[in-house]
Amino acid sequence: MSLDLHKIALQIDNVASRIQQKEFDRLLNLESTLSLFNGASPSELEIKRANSNIGFLVPRILESMSSSYPCQDTPKDYTVLAADGSHIDVDRHLAMQCYLINIGTVLIKYGENPGASLTNDPQLHTNENGLKITDEHSSRHQDIEGPLLGILRTIEEMKAIIKLVEEADKSKPILALVDGTLILWGIIGQAYPGFVRKALLENGIIDTFNQLRDLSRTRKLALAAYVSLPRSTEIVNLLRIDPAVCPYEEANCEANCGSLSFGSRPCDSLTGILDRDIFSNILAEGERSDIFASTIDLHYGEHAVYFYYLNTGSEIARIEIPKWVANDQELLAMTHSLALDQSNLGHGYPVAISEAHEQAVLTMGDREEFRSLVERYLGNKNLPVYTSLKNQSKKLKWL
Amino acid sequence: MSDYINQSNYIGRVIGGSINRGIDIRLDSNTNVEELAVGRFVVIDGITHKFFAQITDITLHASNQSLIDLPPDFSNQIVSSVVSKIGVFSVIEVVPYLTLDGALATSEGVKPAKTVPPHFARTYLASEEDYQTVFGGNDNDHFWLGSPLDLETNIHLNLDRFVERSNGIFGKSGTGKTFLTRLILAGIVQKQKAVNLVFDMQSEYGWAGYNETGSGSVKGLKQLFSSNVALFSMDEEHSKRRNVTPDYLVKVGYNQIEPEDIVMLRDTLNLSDVAADASYTLALHYGQDRWFKTFTSLDGSQLRELAQTIGVNDRALSTLRTRLMRLERFHFLTDQESDHAVDSILQHIDKGIHVVLEFGRYQHEFAAYILVANLITRRIHQRYSRRKEEAMVDESAEPKQLVITIEEAHRFLTPGISSQTIFGTIAREMRKYNVTLLIVDQRPSGIDDEIMSQLGTKLSCLLDNDNDVSAVMSGVSGSNKLRTVISKLDSKQQALIFGHAMPMPIAVKIRNYDEEAYRSLGLIERNGSDYELDRDAKDLFGSH
Amino acid sequence: MENKDNRIGEVVEATTTSFISQCYKLYNSPHLGSLIKTGGPYPTYGIVYNIITQGIDPSRKPVVRGINSSSEEEVYRLNPQLEHLLRTDFYSVSIGYIQGDNIIYHLPPAPPPIYSFVQKCDGLDLINFSSRLEFIKILCSSGIPALDEVISAFIRNLADSQQDKENFLINVGKELIYAFPGDFRKMESILQKVLS
Repeated sequence: MSLDLHKIALQIDNVASRIQQKEFDRLLNLESTLSLFNGASPSELEIKRANSNIGFLVPRILESMSSSYPCQDTPKDYTVLAADGSHIDVDRHLAMQCYLINIGTVLIKYGENPGASLTNDPQLHTNENGLKITDEHSSRHQDIEGPLLGILRTIEEMKAIIKLVEEADKSKPILALVDGTLILWGIIGQAYPGFVRKALLENGIIDTFNQLRDLSRTRKLALAAYVSLPRSTEIVNLLRIDPAVCPYEEANCEANCGSLSFGSRPCDSLTGILDRDIFSNILAEGERSDIFASTIDLHYGEHAVYFYYLNTGSEIARIEIPKWVANDQELLAMTHSLALDQSNLGHGYPVAISEAHEQAVLTMGDREEFRSLVERYLGNKNLPVYTSLKNQSKKLKWL
Repeated sequence: MSDYINQSNYIGRVIGGSINRGIDIRLDSNTNVEELAVGRFVVIDGITHKFFAQITDITLHASNQSLIDLPPDFSNQIVSSVVSKIGVFSVIEVVPYLTLDGALATSEGVKPAKTVPPHFARTYLASEEDYQTVFGGNDNDHFWLGSPLDLETNIHLNLDRFVERSNGIFGKSGTGKTFLTRLILAGIVQKQKAVNLVFDMQSEYGWAGYNETGSGSVKGLKQLFSSNVALFSMDEEHSKRRNVTPDYLVKVGYNQIEPEDIVMLRDTLNLSDVAADASYTLALHYGQDRWFKTFTSLDGSQLRELAQTIGVNDRALSTLRTRLMRLERFHFLTDQESDHAVDSILQHIDKGIHVVLEFGRYQHEFAAYILVANLITRRIHQRYSRRKEEAMVDESAEPKQLVITIEEAHRFLTPGISSQTIFGTIAREMRKYNVTLLIVDQRPSGIDDEIMSQLGTKLSCLLDNDNDVSAVMSGVSGSNKLRTVISKLDSKQQALIFGHAMPMPIAVKIRNYDEEAYRSLGLIERNGSDYELDRDAKDLFGSH
Repeated sequence: MENKDNRIGEVVEATTTSFISQCYKLYNSPHLGSLIKTGGPYPTYGIVYNIITQGIDPSRKPVVRGINSSSEEEVYRLNPQLEHLLRTDFYSVSIGYIQGDNIIYHLPPAPPPIYSFVQKCDGLDLINFSSRLEFIKILCSSGIPALDEVISAFIRNLADSQQDKENFLINVGKELIYAFPGDFRKMESILQKVLS
């Protein structure tokens, strides 16, 4: 049955009113948060952080926290590349167990000899080439589906980026852009067995980072991730432990406020404020914030994730970079100016990423086609094509 | 049927029409309409027949009215060309007269058309060969008259058929009737188809006449054919003055004048019916031999007495006498005459010698002309009838075919009168007694319908009076088409010829009557041996 | 005959009466009214009647990009990916095909296969093709939009390569009348467009 919009409309309306109310409260809060931010002492906060056992994520301050840095010269000749993927998960209702990953890649060269290459590469994964992660030391295996599939897809995207870097003109600066975050949030919190973690991290994403690092030794290559409309509150979290908010000398959240209900902890007054709210008042168009180091521990090593906020003119974006990029002035400046340039060219969002997304996207029609293709092929080879009743009922629109 | 496809003569295809209305032919876009003319001949290639037809009308069409309402930009050469080739077209209307059966290639297969060609039959301008097929070639029976308007081929008159009936030559003054008549008379002499008796009112046919511009003279029959032609004269003095010695001087006796002659003179003498008819009573009263002279010598009282006696109105009688007395100034009238003149004429005719009777000073006296022509013709006809009856028993008595040429027929062959006259009789009898008429006239509307309808062949030069044209055309099928042809003739040297002696009506450019003609005409075959009459070129060419 | 340099695109859609070709290079389609030739078992002659450049993905519409640029070329230079996101297609009406050494002036028995190579026709091709004018009838009854413009563009190309241009155009004029019976205005306007 198609969506009955009338029934939803009232619900949406109710929510909208509540949001509106919250917005008023938030704006009042933001003012005081800004003055807090401007008056904070980075060194003090860093010391407190290092000595505390904080229950939420707080980044490491490198030098300052409230400075803003204008964009330096944007190189005219550069290459940007990006990869994005989408997938069709394993469908229990489908006769053949498989999943499809479609990686879209984009390489755009600007300057003297402009050019572009946009491709997409669909890969079908079945029993033969990997519906499971297997443990090499035992017979254990992990089925690949759901969030795990998402992580694998991310790794495939990185691999695609590596290929693009190798094809690009090494005499010009190269920016490799990733959509979203460099941090594999999917692993954090999931109790994946060791062999899975190994496949995903060491042999997975970290391996790709290593390859890129190697490549950057022979060309000016920077890797960055672009997060649009970031919902992170890491900088706000910093203010939570500010002495003006948190009365404790050491912010040991569990010990200090463990028994308090949500909303009654001293730092709860900062709830509802996002990092981007702060920086939209600090950064002028084109400026970036200070670099912060994320304290997520995924054993990234020299690829430890650093980040900064950037005012693109259309929004405050969060740029994540590996440590080796953050420590290289030139590469750092590259990520700043080129991410900005990309955003301008893309009417508010980096054009390379949005094109990669377009290359990767699988529409409902694509998904249906894929399903019928599988069924047809199975039919051709005289294999029984059975599908659950649920699937049948979805396909046949009957009255 | 395409045993002959002459591409360069091709003009178009049949697109419609009927027997009555004529056939419509759409001209091919490559045909120049300006080169076609009313009166010209075309040949239509049907499936089993060839059709010989004459153009009677030409119309312009546009395939689309919008072309006329909003003409294209003519400064654009290319658009103009396309439009003239496709958007507009011409249609000629033709009347099919003859068909040629494909199986019979020669003139034997030529018959009057009784059907029409099918749609899209190809049509060509007639070629020389076509004309030959239809009109025959130069032989003993055919006389070369001229050429068609569009080709230099020869058109021949079938003289045999010509002399079988009475015929008419018509045309406004100055259009060349006289020349045409001269030509035909010469032809009759040359081909020996008949013997001519010409009542030559203006002395044009006998010795010499004048050319078209009147500046030089042309040869007469006597000059061309010398001893084959006899000149009779009503006026000796006149002939002598022209250095011509007539072969006979004609005198007419008063005793030879019959009441019928007076009736014929009714209009000329301006007599009432009563007055004219009175002559019959007078003849009865006084006797044929004496009535004229006696009557005209009466004085007033004798006249009145006579009136009472015979019961005729005295005023009418008086008028009659006065008018009759006018005739007495004709010097050729004598008190008593025998039929010697007629005898002489007949003698000549029997020998095959043609007779031209000149009227000298009497050329303007219609009364003289009418009287003499009527008188003589009546007598000849009498003799001829008798001879013809004798010939039924004795073939040698058969009189020679005689053609009597009369001019100004509208003066004495007027409606009503002609039925009572000898000419009317001759016309009606056709060839019964071996006598036919050749009428030459410029007011055919004045001639009795009945006589006109008896004419076998008509040759019409330009006529511009509708009534005259109607008179010539009366009784002819498809006449309204031919009317257009007549009205489009040149004012000189062109004639429309149709009737018994022509397979189909045709507009002809009459051949020149000049040295060349003299040369060819002067050649007579007699009994198989060539007998050249123009021994000396100087003699023949005369003054110019 | 087949010259790789003359190749300009490939057939991406084909019906009995017409076909759509995609250009290899953006904006590099043959001009309106050009004569083109496909490959396939019945190499088909077509006349270009419509040229469309649009996004490859029909759901993505081009947006303005050049407000700060000084020229149109700059827009493309600053956005190299555009060339890969746009495609130029040209639509051609079929008007004849090749069988052996002959040009047949009917619709081909079957349309050209998808991915048939499409070539521009050169001057010699034009002269050979225009030796008979039957194509005019097919073109005129094809129902393509802006028919008059396409016809006149095509005829203009042909006329320029004729020896006797005037005679050729007169014959074309006649064929136009046969194709549009009675419509002299149309013939006139087409010929005027050709000559202008």
